[in-house]
Amino acid sequence: MICAEPTFPDPAIISRSELARERARLAHAALTDCHLCAHHCGVNRRANETGLCRAGAKARIFIAQTEVSDELALIPTFAIAFSGCDLRCDFCITGASSWNPRAGEILSPGTVAERAMEALAAGARTIMILGGEPTIHLPTALEIVAALPDSAKLIWKTNAHGSASARDFLNGMFNVWLADYKFGNDACAQRLARVPDYVHVVQENLRWANEHSELIVRHLLMPGHVECCWRPTAEWLGENLPGTKINLRSGFWPAWHASRHSDLCGTVSQAESDQAVQIAQDCELNLIK
Amino acid sequence: VKPIQKPVQVVKIDSQMLTTELLILPDGRILVHNLTQPFAELLHELNPIDEQIASRNSITQPETH
Repeated sequence: MICAEPTFPDPAIISRSELARERARLAHAALTDCHLCAHHCGVNRRANETGLCRAGAKARIFIAQTEVSDELALIPTFAIAFSGCDLRCDFCITGASSWNPRAGEILSPGTVAERAMEALAAGARTIMILGGEPTIHLPTALEIVAALPDSAKLIWKTNAHGSASARDFLNGMFNVWLADYKFGNDACAQRLARVPDYVHVVQENLRWANEHSELIVRHLLMPGHVECCWRPTAEWLGENLPGTKINLRSGFWPAWHASRHSDLCGTVSQAESDQAVQIAQDCELNLIK
Repeated sequence: VKPIQKPVQVVKIDSQMLTTELLILPDGRILVHNLTQPFAELLHELNPIDEQIASRNSITQPETH
């Protein structure tokens, strides 16, 4: 059942914070028939029904601190990580919190925004909202945006598995989309993250993000997945998003349930890493650190 | 490398508490997640020639004139 049809005021005539406040209200209403991610569960999260992400209507946070491990152009960043995710990546480095939407604690958006502004005053350059997956907690994410000054540089760190509806809510809210492109084919995505139709959904989101904000695409190299996952990803990016900043990450470690898969029990070898960089060069990708 | 399993835990978000996770590999390489400024400084002291950490450590240092 849909209780409220979102209407979207013109971003050109009201401030980001005002727009975010209005959209947060609409996004809360949308939880009654949740289609925020591409699973399209359609459950009523406000009535304690849960879909594949298991998240309720209230968002919990498991990290809120300034970090320097992200892209050099973005750090130091104040990272705000929501518990829960719509994917089930067995190698998830934050699996305990990302698979469990009840991990962490509930903090008011005002409190989070206050800490973020303190971090900015202390030298942080950006504020990053991530997860788990922040898309499933869009109402709270938008409330945090509403409590932040319009001048703050905001980053949306996402698995790029959101729906068109989520994209409508996000339009004009974040300066940078930092988006994962994890798997180069649907078979690996299904086996390692239990997600169908992955490639189509991610490509749709990346195209949109590239048109509506600054986009940085991340690919985490996985051992044994250079040819099946990185090569097709690199070829698509080179062909469809030329010039886009790409961060090719080789620091895979066999976290969480990686041991369920014999191919994910180690780290990426130097040879694989070198091969991946060569593929990136062949595809003329704009690699960043 | 022995697979790592992170225990399920309730994380208290304390504004004074910082969290960084490390994986030290048998060959001596260190992989880092959620790197904070104090830990970047520590890792830089341990291995000043590591470019990845050096670039992250230097970006957090106060500017001097």
